[in-house]
Amino acid sequence: MTPDADLDGLMAGYQQGDPEAAAALIRRVSPMLHRFFMVQDVSRRYADDLLQETWLRIHEGRHTYRPGEPVLPWLYAIARHVRVDQYRKVRRVETREQQVDALPEVRPESQAEGPDLQAILGSLPESQREVVYLLKVAGMSLEDVARATSSSVGSVKQKAHRAYEKLRGLLEGFARTKTRRAP
Amino acid sequence: MTDKEIDRLLKSAGTADHALDPAVAQRVSDLVLPKLEPVKPLPSAGVLAMGMQAVFVSVAIAGATVMGFNGLHVLNGAQGSLIFWVMGSLGRFAAGSAAAEMVPGSKRPVTPMLLLTSCIAGFIAVFALLFHDYRMDRFWFEGVRCLIVGLGFAAVAAFLLWLIVRRGMVVRTDAAGMAIGTLAGLSGLGMLESHCPILKSMHLMVWHVGVVLLSGLAGYWWGRWLRRA
Repeated sequence: MTPDADLDGLMAGYQQGDPEAAAALIRRVSPMLHRFFMVQDVSRRYADDLLQETWLRIHEGRHTYRPGEPVLPWLYAIARHVRVDQYRKVRRVETREQQVDALPEVRPESQAEGPDLQAILGSLPESQREVVYLLKVAGMSLEDVARATSSSVGSVKQKAHRAYEKLRGLLEGFARTKTRRAP
Repeated sequence: MTDKEIDRLLKSAGTADHALDPAVAQRVSDLVLPKLEPVKPLPSAGVLAMGMQAVFVSVAIAGATVMGFNGLHVLNGAQGSLIFWVMGSLGRFAAGSAAAEMVPGSKRPVTPMLLLTSCIAGFIAVFALLFHDYRMDRFWFEGVRCLIVGLGFAAVAAFLLWLIVRRGMVVRTDAAGMAIGTLAGLSGLGMLESHCPILKSMHLMVWHVGVVLLSGLAGYWWGRWLRRA
């Protein structure tokens, strides 16, 4: 059974009001959604808030999921809209700076092995970051990513291609820096 | 560095444990589990689209029945066939688009903005092709009347369409609103084409097509307001 088919069963149980299926779905999905928010360069506390808001929306809209359809695009589409809506709400009071061209920030504890996921993806523009995350980390297909992001497959491919070009340059730069630092 | 190496790096970073604060997980469970009730999933996209097409056609026919089929009597066979064929095709697309916007993560046949633009451009092209009377006499007087009547029936269609889509207005309410507004506007336009006997090009291109434009934009603003609320 594929992970998505497994989620399909849990979603069906959730729609039928089965508390065990709902609890299992929360356990399975919450870390994925939380990580999705964390790689969007937000604080852990903000990601916690977004996760709760997302679950409220999932709960209110659980009847819009049709059994047999892929679950992950449905979940990530809701999560994505929650993030966008919340961002619009706080935009007026917070000024965010996005350093697109800078090297990814490397956390002290991860210097030995290499940059962590958040640091790698943090260097990409938001739209490319979410595409790379959904394709490579969440393991979704191009078609599913296009559904989750309300775009076309061609657009997803283009964003992934541009993101990889940027990542290649950044990671090679990181490797060179690491080699110079090595005794 | 090759794409495969980047893939490997992302996958290895992604498979690392991502610990969720147990207090947060508990808060999520407390939000969801006490309010757990069975829900009925939405009907398939095809069923929803058919329901919306039925509203679109019914309001246009009912409107023309009430106001009179004066427009149909002045159109020749080719004109009537082309206008109503284009209207039917665009109505089908609009219903499919509105049905897709109801479900998060569903496949979009066309974006609502492209749909609205296609409807406006399509009808301007059809009217420019079929009618070549460019007189502007009584332009405002006749036009405003048609606009008000068309928008009135579009509002009736929009209300009936809202009864169908309201369960699905979860995330993309602005996009769904624009698709529904466009379909309602097409219904108003269908009524006008059956009722209005004026075949002046500018009257048709400005006032009849204007019903679709204003209805689509009104749907968008209504959806946007819902999203903010």
